[in-house]
Amino acid sequence: MNKVLFFAHLRDEAGEESVQLDLAGKTVADVKAIVAEIYGLQKLDSAMTAINEEFASNEEVIKEGDVIAFIPPVSGG
Amino acid sequence: MSNRYSRQTLFPPIGKEGQEKIRSKHVLMIGAGALGSGNAEVLTRAGVGKLTIIDRDYVEASNLQRQQLYTENDVAEKLPKAAAAEKRLKAINSDVEIQAIIGDATPEKLEELADEVDLIIDATDNFETRMAINDISQKYEIPWIYGACVASYGMSFTVIPGKTPCLNCLLKTIPIQGMTCDTGGIIGPTVQMVVAHQTAEALKILVEDWDALRSAFVSFDVWRNDYTTMKMSRAKDPGCLSCGEHPEYPYLSAENRTKTTVLCGRDTVQIRPPHNEGVDLKEMAGKLKALGYEVKGNPYLLSAELEENRFVLFQDGRALIHGTKDMAQAKSLYSRLLG
Repeated sequence: MNKVLFFAHLRDEAGEESVQLDLAGKTVADVKAIVAEIYGLQKLDSAMTAINEEFASNEEVIKEGDVIAFIPPVSGG
Repeated sequence: MSNRYSRQTLFPPIGKEGQEKIRSKHVLMIGAGALGSGNAEVLTRAGVGKLTIIDRDYVEASNLQRQQLYTENDVAEKLPKAAAAEKRLKAINSDVEIQAIIGDATPEKLEELADEVDLIIDATDNFETRMAINDISQKYEIPWIYGACVASYGMSFTVIPGKTPCLNCLLKTIPIQGMTCDTGGIIGPTVQMVVAHQTAEALKILVEDWDALRSAFVSFDVWRNDYTTMKMSRAKDPGCLSCGEHPEYPYLSAENRTKTTVLCGRDTVQIRPPHNEGVDLKEMAGKLKALGYEVKGNPYLLSAELEENRFVLFQDGRALIHGTKDMAQAKSLYSRLLG
């Protein structure tokens, strides 16, 4: 299983701080599509992804037990 | 005030030598809103040699809740933020040379300024300008510090050309906006937390304590009590068009630029004319009064109101059209009045 964490407005949209999903073998891009579909997230494409607190590109492959976090960049100043 | 910096020089990583370095440096602040106010005040009190502040906006009542340099008097006078900030910062520390620029931080303007600055601090409210800052930083090898906030959520990342990944490595493109200050609001402590992270990194850069820099991307939520760091050791993209092996600095070229911008949280559209020939504000005020507009002004700008049309016109021809997010409608009003 994998823990998926949502930050900022993604958490409000998903209605959860984190969820458990089985994502081993999928790429980050796959995971974004799957999670956006399940939780109705509109803007996940723009979010940065961390795997085990390390920045990850869309091509990286998830391993069993990895913790995935979606961090949306914001622009206010 | 010979002991003015004594508490800062007692701090061993700065010391007297560090203070002299801070004194010899020039910082460019892009934006003078909430983050710009906070960053500028910390660096002015710390005794930076020169601070250049560029901002296109003027002070409004809804700024006062979090933009610490401004007063009710600045609102009443509708002072441009850069001018109001300059006045306040000079009163705080007359040792610091403050250069205020009222206008847009266009790529051309940034290139003009880039030659002489040691550090750029991001206090803008949009990614178009941030991506231009990011390209300027790479092209001229100037460090810059990203900072942003909305609601109770804030983030910061320090970009050191040649060492860290850049913003284009992380985002690849200008992100689709999620929550903005339009919908999410913003509270003072979020601003202060981002400012604290940006200015701590700024002081490290100014005293050249490179090893002390935080290499991770930090984000936090001061209401939900989250604090997260994301390590960046695998983030640098060798093919990045901003910092990679064959850079093209895409955000400095004309096709990546708009002349019309919807301002975050303001229900306002900015129009920037392509040729800056300047406007005779007195003459314009006369014309508008003849059309029935109620007109107020100062040497920097005029504001005019007639029924649902409200706008502010700056001497350089730039206008802020209020009460709309519709670019076409805003452009139409602008061209009706200014040709």
